[in-house]
Amino acid sequence: MAKKEQENPALDMTPMIDVVFELIIFFVVTIKQEDLFSRLNVNRPAPASSSSPSDSSDDITVNIEIGRRYDNSANGVIVYNKKALGGPTGSASQARRELDQYLKDIARTSKKTPIIVKCEETSPHKALVDVLDICYKNELFSVSVFTM
Amino acid sequence: MARKAQENPALDMTPMIDVVFELIIFFVVTLTEAQRKDETIELEDGRHGIALTPEELPPTHMQIDINAKGRISMGDRTLTPDEVQRRVAERKKKLGGAEFPIIIRADFATQHKDVAKVMNACTAAGIWKLSFMAVGEDKTNERKRLKRVR
Repeated sequence: MAKKEQENPALDMTPMIDVVFELIIFFVVTIKQEDLFSRLNVNRPAPASSSSPSDSSDDITVNIEIGRRYDNSANGVIVYNKKALGGPTGSASQARRELDQYLKDIARTSKKTPIIVKCEETSPHKALVDVLDICYKNELFSVSVFTM
Repeated sequence: MARKAQENPALDMTPMIDVVFELIIFFVVTLTEAQRKDETIELEDGRHGIALTPEELPPTHMQIDINAKGRISMGDRTLTPDEVQRRVAERKKKLGGAEFPIIIRADFATQHKDVAKVMNACTAAGIWKLSFMAVGEDKTNERKRLKRVR
């Protein structure tokens, strides 16, 4: 009995620490596989005014127009101030690069420039997120989204 | 001393069991919280967006899921745009008319008209600022969407 009493203070903690470490390691390993998410904020116009966004010429308008599929459409994937981007083939990745260039110039002038994104009803959500991402890349944060 | 020796066999296990139960409950609760979402949704990349961290978001925020087929859901309940509008309006009323963040978690292939339904519902309920959820940093490296036929 004297031997047992001597050992007890150390033995008390060992299984607890073992199990806690095991659990911590298990959960750290499983939790690490999550993606990190981001959010892109947009403004929404009041329903009454949604039909007529201001068409004054000093407003920048980024149109997303997708009659076909955004990724391999013939043309008209992204229309920037009435100019279709993406070259004659309308490649989405080229259109994104061109839009990035345009918005870089805009951001150099004023970062408060309001951006209006008009989406066609059948366009994929992906296209909108891509355009918003390019706006955020160039630190243009006042973006409004309309539906065409 | 005789008293201590008698108590020891029982005292041995108690803190371990306590801590283990505590941890299990904690992780079960956090896991079920995280799983109450539409698992079919695959998000588009948005690396330049604002990092979405639990600390950054107030607990009053609302997340609305829209899958590729246009199914709108919150938690595990499928909702119509009208129900979304009602829920948003209720939340706003409960907060005394204050704005709160709404995060729209829409699949990359969702048609814009389905997203617009939710946006219109939020606007009709009086919330004009909305956020779209995107993938800020791809840690899993197993994006199924790359294989998906478009």
